[in-house]
Amino acid sequence: MTERAFGHPTTRRRFLSLAAAGTAAAMTRPQPAGAAEKTITILHESSFIKPFDEYVANTLAPAYEKETGIKVSYEVTSVGSLPTRISTIAETGSGADITMNGLLQVIQFSNKYLDVGDIADDVGKAQGGWYEAGREAVVVDGKWKAIPFSNIGQLMNWRTDWFAEVGVKKFPETWEELYEIGKRLKANDHPFGFELGHGFGDNHGWLYPLLWSYGGAEVAADGKTVVIDSDETARAVDFCRKFFKDTMLDDVLGWTDVSNNKAWMAEQISCTNNAESILWFAKREFPEIGKVTDQAMNPAGPKGRFHLLNSISHSIFSFSPAKEEARAFMRWLMDPKQLGGWYAIADSYYQPLLHGYDNAPMWNVEPRNLPYRDALANAHLPGWPAPASQQLAESVAKYVVIDMFAKACAGASTKDVIKDAAAQLKGIYRSA
Amino acid sequence: MVTGHGRVQQVVRVWLPIGFFLVVALFPFYWMAITSIKPNSELYNKNVMPLIVHAPTLKHYVDLLTKSSFLLWTWNTMLVAVVATAISLVLGTMLAYPLARMRFAGASLIAMTIAAIYLVPQPLLFIPLADVINHLHLGNTLTSVILTYPTMLVPFCAWLLLGYFKTVPKELEEAARIDGASRLQTMWKIFLPLCTPGFISAGIFAFTLSQNEFLYALIFLTKSSVRTVPVGVIAELIRGDVFYWGQLMAGALLGSIPVALIYSFFVEHYVAGLTAGSVKA
Amino acid sequence: MTIASERLSVLVHPTRRRASLSVLLDRQSVFSWLMMALPLAFLAALVGYPFFYGILLSLEDRPVAHAGTFVGLKNFVTNAYDPVFWRVAFNTFVYTGVATLLKMVGGLGLALAMNQHFRMKNLVRALLLLPFIVPTVLSTVAWLWMLDPAFSVVNRLLVALGWPKPGPSWLGDPTLAMVSIIIINTWRGLPFYGITLLAGLQTVPSELYEAASMDGAGGWERFRFITLPLLRPIILIVTLFSVIFTFADFQLVYVLTHGGPANATQLFATYAFDIAMGGGQLGLGASVALAMLPALALLIVALTIYLRRE
Repeated sequence: MTERAFGHPTTRRRFLSLAAAGTAAAMTRPQPAGAAEKTITILHESSFIKPFDEYVANTLAPAYEKETGIKVSYEVTSVGSLPTRISTIAETGSGADITMNGLLQVIQFSNKYLDVGDIADDVGKAQGGWYEAGREAVVVDGKWKAIPFSNIGQLMNWRTDWFAEVGVKKFPETWEELYEIGKRLKANDHPFGFELGHGFGDNHGWLYPLLWSYGGAEVAADGKTVVIDSDETARAVDFCRKFFKDTMLDDVLGWTDVSNNKAWMAEQISCTNNAESILWFAKREFPEIGKVTDQAMNPAGPKGRFHLLNSISHSIFSFSPAKEEARAFMRWLMDPKQLGGWYAIADSYYQPLLHGYDNAPMWNVEPRNLPYRDALANAHLPGWPAPASQQLAESVAKYVVIDMFAKACAGASTKDVIKDAAAQLKGIYRSA
Repeated sequence: MVTGHGRVQQVVRVWLPIGFFLVVALFPFYWMAITSIKPNSELYNKNVMPLIVHAPTLKHYVDLLTKSSFLLWTWNTMLVAVVATAISLVLGTMLAYPLARMRFAGASLIAMTIAAIYLVPQPLLFIPLADVINHLHLGNTLTSVILTYPTMLVPFCAWLLLGYFKTVPKELEEAARIDGASRLQTMWKIFLPLCTPGFISAGIFAFTLSQNEFLYALIFLTKSSVRTVPVGVIAELIRGDVFYWGQLMAGALLGSIPVALIYSFFVEHYVAGLTAGSVKA
Repeated sequence: MTIASERLSVLVHPTRRRASLSVLLDRQSVFSWLMMALPLAFLAALVGYPFFYGILLSLEDRPVAHAGTFVGLKNFVTNAYDPVFWRVAFNTFVYTGVATLLKMVGGLGLALAMNQHFRMKNLVRALLLLPFIVPTVLSTVAWLWMLDPAFSVVNRLLVALGWPKPGPSWLGDPTLAMVSIIIINTWRGLPFYGITLLAGLQTVPSELYEAASMDGAGGWERFRFITLPLLRPIILIVTLFSVIFTFADFQLVYVLTHGGPANATQLFATYAFDIAMGGGQLGLGASVALAMLPALALLIVALTIYLRRE
């Protein structure tokens, strides 16, 4: 088992004093950041890779304090709690100065974030330029509301040994080819397992790319016109239905994000869409499985190859009392000396969005992670080609695209599921 | 009461149905226990009979206690439950006593209002309540849940206590009134000390509901140090999309034990409270 | 009584001449209202105010971290045209209806079985209540694992009996997913029903049964004409609670399926949560949550009428 983000020693005395202090502190409002010395508080979501968080707390923060005398406080919230925490801070106007953003937060809280275009420009110029995906993730209404940090890619994971049994040595290029292989593997009792349920990452990771690769989209680039009702979408839906029926476990309709990890370790499936966590976990806990696990880019459809943009970025709250200090800190943080070290420590789990890192040594540590870098070229936010907006967040929260595919797989007609999705989207984009 | 004669009759009438209910009720706990002592290799192995353990290990428990804040969450949960219960008992008594003993204009209106509050379950309130908590700057403090839990506990306590209060004979209070005691003195010195069983029943019920609460805790408590067991276990025994199943099950089991223990001492009162409330209401 | 009065006199110190304030405070109405002031204020502040604020929110377009703009009934119109909203309503009613029925019947069965003399009755009663008192999210996590076809004991049994591998998909098939949450909710709530009904059964005087037997009434007649009518008030109260809890259920679905597959298990509470917390639309989320109110009121009125009539 791997380490936790918060280790609390359990010697009884230590625990009791901790509990007492914690109770006292927990009953009252948290104290405002240090009155005497300046403190910058950074909010981050707990990282999958523990050393990543530790690097900030133990290496970066002390280094900055030494250089500038400003204390850096690194607050970590558990996975899934970041949106709630940012909500509270944004609504009350206090609690942190800099925050990490996941997929949707830049959009939802853009009006509480500072315009950091100047910092982004300088960083981009100095380090090889930003990937288009980076820009797509953080530009709202023409302004850079965050500095892109990385992508957390969702890619194909596949069992090399079982694929070899049916004569396949290289991961297929197209969805149709993958489908044919899947049929054979299912007959061999090694079915595929792609999430079609109400999780957050492993469903979006392949369903949006599937839609785009057939030429479908939710909304046009104008951000207003609902265009999901199209032949291209119908083709994608039909493919998905046969893909589910002929290659997958029935259970996937109800899967959430943890299910495919579980199924992989239980050796139930031969192919799925996931972030780096399967390989990472397998290497540590089930090395035999880890040896035969490989990763590949999403297959291409008739209209191209696509990936989901699952971006991480950093923003500065516009109401922060330490705005200038926060800006200075961000510049310092995004300097190659700090940034490079921070990326490197996380086993390429965070794929940099600056071209300057395309050939960084960190990619050589685990060559199987290279497809994550290559996927950046065609990674997009859900809702693409429409620009980032509140409506996008609502569509994701309501699982519009996911359910469209899932209902079709469960037996509904293509016409009906598209009709429903269009009705939902029209409602969602009511105020666009 | 129905008694069966003969061993066979006994078995059929009593132990067959009871046994069935027991197996159904307890099976998931057996599963929790078994899973929590299975090493990962067995845990994920789909070919092995899941109901038995071949190589039991305490690793998950050790990891749970040393690498997560489980003990802290347990402390938080108990603290919140105790304080919220205390508040609810006090407020519940203040509502129930006048309704049980006094006649005054508006009594039935108040009774109906309290009943109507049941119609306002948490999921209806959580969005505006989150706003309120934010504006009071109580986010991520235990105070937020200590203040909000009684909103669901007070109506219950009031109802249970009301039912119980009605069963207490009025003679002692009447005697005290004749002797010149004020209503407050009568209530405080004469009546309430007689109601300990009622308080225990309502208290147990409130305590149980309180440590079962999840929605408000999920929304108000995002920092690990202030979390309660339900939120902590669900939110933190995962990393990315990897569930630490062994630890989860260990946490689930350990999280159930304090309540079950407290409960087992007071189950008589719990049941008595339910009866008093429902039969006499 | 004299000794008691003496003791009471010692405990109580009546003043010789009552100030008019104390007389005032002792009037039933004044005392009652003063006593209830604090709890009523508490409830008004933390239930009443959010309730009306929630209504206001539902009439606003209120994205998180933005100010709200009044839009009248627009959110409700959006919901009316949202196919998922109607699915959610359907799910919640089916879930509540079936689970409550199962709990009522099962609870009655449990109560009747427990209403006999046998050893270790108290231990059994305590054990039977475990599903109800243990935090729901914790036991649901266990169910998550138990319902995985590869690990489920039931699936293994069915496959052994000839069912095609790997057996039914409890959380993947939309219908079975609803069945699953109903089963877990019933598992959790049946003990509450059963033990409460048991307590009610135990208040039925045995003379009534004896008299009926002597009149020639069989077991079923005794049950139908004595037990059931006397249990009616308890059944009503417990059912009322159960319906409210189940209708507003959040934890079970959140942990088990998060509303999937394809909204087959999405309930009002989880849908409102997704819209508000995930989508950042607080006004729309509030409108979905509010939709529970008329439905709940309807259910309760219907229930009360049905169970009250003779």
